[in-house]
Amino acid sequence: MSDLPFGPPVRVSPLIRFGRWSFLTAGVLYGAFHQSRLSKKEAKFREIEAKEKVVRDAKIKAEKEMAAAAELKSLEEMVNTPKK
Amino acid sequence: MAVAKIPSLINSALAQARPKFYIFMKYARVELAPPKLSEIPQIKAGLGKLITSAKTGAWKQQTVKQATLNTLVGAEVLFWFYVGECIGKRHIVGYNV
Repeated sequence: MSDLPFGPPVRVSPLIRFGRWSFLTAGVLYGAFHQSRLSKKEAKFREIEAKEKVVRDAKIKAEKEMAAAAELKSLEEMVNTPKK
Repeated sequence: MAVAKIPSLINSALAQARPKFYIFMKYARVELAPPKLSEIPQIKAGLGKLITSAKTGAWKQQTVKQATLNTLVGAEVLFWFYVGECIGKRHIVGYNV
């Protein structure tokens, strides 16, 4: 191993290497599991949101129409009030 | 002008990095290798040592230097978990749902 500039490689203790690899695989599994769990949760939430959006849009539309009608009415009253 | 130089820059960077990468790989093959089946007894012995030192309180009889080094090594081993989590969730920050 004369082509290695930093001397022969360190013999890392098998326990440390075992710990690294087992923690790495544990992390991969943990991340994948939580990713799927959280995306399922979020998908459910989005479904509910989509249902509520229809109701909310209808409510906002009705409110807007009512407000427009009231405005028109008040305008008419202003125009049609007899001058003293 | 500047755009025409980019391929040659990339080529020279690759040519510079290649021997260093080979050296890195030679060290990594030994130092970062996954544990072999034949090393299981050593791993067991190491775990046993950790447990006995935790039980007997031998870990309190260390020099500050040893304790610092052990803490750093322990932290490094623990951080591999978070690297693995990032790989598992396929996102760097937070969960991309």
